[in-house]
Amino acid sequence: MKPFDLIKTTDPKHALLQKKEQVQYIAGGTNLVDLMKKNIQVPDTLLDVTEALGHRIDKQGKAVQIGAMARNTTVATDAMILRDFPLIAKAVLAGASPQIRNMASTAGNLLQRTRCPYFYDVTTACNKRKPGSGCSAYEGQNRMSAVVGYSTDCVAVHPSDLCVGLAALDAEVHVFGKDQKKSVIPFEEFHRLPGNTPHLDNNLPEHALITSIEIPENPFDKNCAYLKVRDRDSYSFALVSVAAALHLDGDRIIDARLASGGVAHKPWRWRDAEQFLRGKSATAATFGEAARLIVGDLKPLTHNGFKIDMLKGAVETALGQCLHV
Amino acid sequence: MRFFDKQNKEIPEGRVEAVDKVTGSGKFAAEYKVDNLCYGVLVDSTIPSGSIRNIDLTKAKQVKGVVGIVTHLQKPNVPGFATEDLIKQSRFGLPIFHTDKIHFKGQPIALVIAETLEDATYAATLVEVEYNTGGFQVDFDAAHPKIPLREAGKERGQIDSWSNAPYVMEAEYNIKSEVHNPMEMHATIAEWTSDRHLKLHDKTQGVNNVQQVIAPLFNLQKENIEVVSEFVGGGFGSGLRVWPHVLATVMAAKHVNRPVKVMLTRPQMFTGTGYRPASWQKIKLGADASGKFLGIHHQAKNETSLYERFSDQITRVTRLIYNFDNLKTEDALVPLNLSAATWMRGPGDCTGDFAIECAIDELSYKLKIDPVALRTKNIAATHHPDNKLPWSSNYLLECINEGAKRIGWNDRNPIPNAMKDGDWQIGYGMSVGMWNAGRNKTSAAIKMVRDGRIIVQTAMTDIGTGTGTGMKNIAHEMTGIPQDKITVELGNSNLPPAPSQGGSTGMSSVSGAVVDASNALKLKLAEYAALININFKNISPDDIHLSEKGISLKKNLDETVTYADLWEKNKLDSVVVEATSGPGEERKKYAFCSSAAHFCQVRVNVKTGKVKIEKLVCVADGGTIVNEKAAANQMSGAAVGGIGMALMEEKLLDAKLGGLIGDDLAGYHFPVNADAPIIDVSFISKPDPHINPTGAKGLGEVGIIGTAAAIANAIYHATGKRLRNLPITPDKVLG
Repeated sequence: MKPFDLIKTTDPKHALLQKKEQVQYIAGGTNLVDLMKKNIQVPDTLLDVTEALGHRIDKQGKAVQIGAMARNTTVATDAMILRDFPLIAKAVLAGASPQIRNMASTAGNLLQRTRCPYFYDVTTACNKRKPGSGCSAYEGQNRMSAVVGYSTDCVAVHPSDLCVGLAALDAEVHVFGKDQKKSVIPFEEFHRLPGNTPHLDNNLPEHALITSIEIPENPFDKNCAYLKVRDRDSYSFALVSVAAALHLDGDRIIDARLASGGVAHKPWRWRDAEQFLRGKSATAATFGEAARLIVGDLKPLTHNGFKIDMLKGAVETALGQCLHV
Repeated sequence: MRFFDKQNKEIPEGRVEAVDKVTGSGKFAAEYKVDNLCYGVLVDSTIPSGSIRNIDLTKAKQVKGVVGIVTHLQKPNVPGFATEDLIKQSRFGLPIFHTDKIHFKGQPIALVIAETLEDATYAATLVEVEYNTGGFQVDFDAAHPKIPLREAGKERGQIDSWSNAPYVMEAEYNIKSEVHNPMEMHATIAEWTSDRHLKLHDKTQGVNNVQQVIAPLFNLQKENIEVVSEFVGGGFGSGLRVWPHVLATVMAAKHVNRPVKVMLTRPQMFTGTGYRPASWQKIKLGADASGKFLGIHHQAKNETSLYERFSDQITRVTRLIYNFDNLKTEDALVPLNLSAATWMRGPGDCTGDFAIECAIDELSYKLKIDPVALRTKNIAATHHPDNKLPWSSNYLLECINEGAKRIGWNDRNPIPNAMKDGDWQIGYGMSVGMWNAGRNKTSAAIKMVRDGRIIVQTAMTDIGTGTGTGMKNIAHEMTGIPQDKITVELGNSNLPPAPSQGGSTGMSSVSGAVVDASNALKLKLAEYAALININFKNISPDDIHLSEKGISLKKNLDETVTYADLWEKNKLDSVVVEATSGPGEERKKYAFCSSAAHFCQVRVNVKTGKVKIEKLVCVADGGTIVNEKAAANQMSGAAVGGIGMALMEEKLLDAKLGGLIGDDLAGYHFPVNADAPIIDVSFISKPDPHINPTGAKGLGEVGIIGTAAAIANAIYHATGKRLRNLPITPDKVLG
């Protein structure tokens, strides 16, 4: 890889002052270092923020605040997360491997790049890597690619499992900007759709730092499931994944959350299906109808038509699993 | 030399290399410290076809630490590649740095050498290449229908005689290309110790093979090349060839006149060290109403590179397992803009067996005969069906019976798509596999030192199969010397010569040499002992027992000459014996095979297409089992490889771009622990009476030959869906 300088800071304000074009923040490094090895990102300087950002998981009233540097393993094994936000722990454990989860940070998880193989192969065209060069996946090997929300410029999917859980639970992203001002981005507005600017993954302002993720209080601690369908049972990305959560009164659904990974450029919320489920009784027939509603809008590519049946089955299964926890 | 000399005191029956491997003190090829070493990184072509118009090294050379760059324009002299004719005669394969032609994307076209790996890696990205691009084809499925088949072996009986058989099964089978991907990446350290002497630390399955391939290229005596490969982190066949990067490293060391190390990157492991080629097969299989096979017509094609032809010999196994009175086998090679394919665990047979065993399974349901019964009825249990020689031993029927018992075959509901557990469908499947049991001429030496310890030596490598441990076990068994007084040295070309470890021949070959060397040691010591005690004169090895302290007569263990006396009286420091052992006349009288029966229970999710392997039973006939733990370990590994072949392994290509996609361990899926149950491995463990003095037949291949078919057959039994294309990923199950 290209030689680079490594600097470290323990102060987020200091980090923001030092951040500029060829300076790249590094936290867990589980994705960035790969990208540097493959000459996809070639910063002159790495700015280590692992000690500049919080790693604590704190209850704020009934909400939880997860520090940007909380490692994935810490999040997945935290007693309070397991008790009050089990969907988050399930989603984290579905991703990566123990070694990677030990290194990976919460904020970094949001910022990881797509795993589209063309993005990682510098000998091929990729609008996300090199704007204007074209999308090799659109009519290429797109078995893993998007089935919703894509454009002809980019069919990549966001690889995170944690983010699917965070999207489902209406999390918020706390940001510390270059102007030293704090702001909050609702999770669904954090990641972008590709449109004609697929090189932009998200709406994090330039040079800004994520300081924490907040998950509001929710009634989904009892009936939730995270189902990930993949080619092997660990260390592989989702063909499709489903975060499902139900708030039940007896068998009546008061509220529902449904989100998916492996289907779009961002974690995808199925709002129509959630609305459909509200007030219905929690039966296999209801779940089947919700699943049908979801897959009605999918527009598969040349090699991923199977995702329709697979997602339908995964939604039904995940909703079913919500009742058996 | 110090190889496996740390005793594993906690687990005395454990592997000789265990402590070195677990503590990290054992050295793999890339881990040796060599003075003045520099590092080479290969630059790969970014196009699949054409030629190099220009290579601009200006920017790369400006990187601090770069000491040289080898290309086809700037390279040291390789006498064996001096002319096109010599290149052809060498049969080396890709003439690295001796052509401007590009045959595949990823072809190495330059080697950047620098003071550090980091410098070399960075500078390699700055080599600027201009190409003349040419047309290409990498799509096997698109290309193979245009390639005609040709006869593969002699036709048996008459292909037309059974075309009206009452039960006929005809189907096509496709298997995607698989990549070996051993954990340890291939690496070479080359050091010219003089103009005429070369030392190589190389990841290989055969040190003598490396000598034989490299020596003529540089007009060297092969004895003048020392090849060291003490610890090998898996091979699966990828180490049976001498690949272009090895020659590149040797050239680089000459070019910069310093030792050079090259370790392939993981993506380079996909194009630099072979793969199991993608294949197409068609099977037509006929039987009468009783289930007796009337004939088989097996057609097969495999992909290959443009610069060398590799036949996987997919229809070889068709002539091995069953009695087919009428048999026709045909094959063809499909040249594509790809790197060279090679042998991968269970080569050819693994592929051919998948199609045959799936076809037989399908036929069994047509016939309404149990899949086990149909096989049992047709297995060639007494004679090799092709050369008609009697089997020296063939316990495949016992393997099947034992496997059926272990998985509870007869307790299943035989009707497909009948057993369910919620959204999961449950199914059972089975298959068999077989492999010609070979043996090659091998030498071993034993050195006894003053304190009565012995060192058993051979040049053979141990690629994780337990060769060294087996050698120790055999030497102990033969001599009586306690296990903790025996050490093993192997994987070095200075040791007694041995063939490459491959094709399930390792233990079969080396065991005879260790037996003979053990006997030679006994006789040599008896000769010296006889000068002290006349009772040791003219005795046979069977009469002799060696202990920690001395040499004794078996019939009277009190009759002992201590080693101390023996050394002193004969004024010796040590005793060294060497023996060579190989196949002989028995090969003309008997046929030899290893075999296995595979049984599988799967769960298939109707909603997500997920397949879970619940149970995998493998019962093998490998003759004498020299070390059960090592043997079972090898079988488990092969079975897990079979799960990969069945469910997930696929080298992905982009046909439009002409190159690989996802060429790393995140993109190329092989099973992790979560995908595999504990494999139920057992052995018939009866010695083969003729193969070699120990009766051990070799197990490397039969653990994987048949596994994929057992899984595919179980998926059919679970779902009623016959899936004939591997890998069976969840999308295919849902489709």
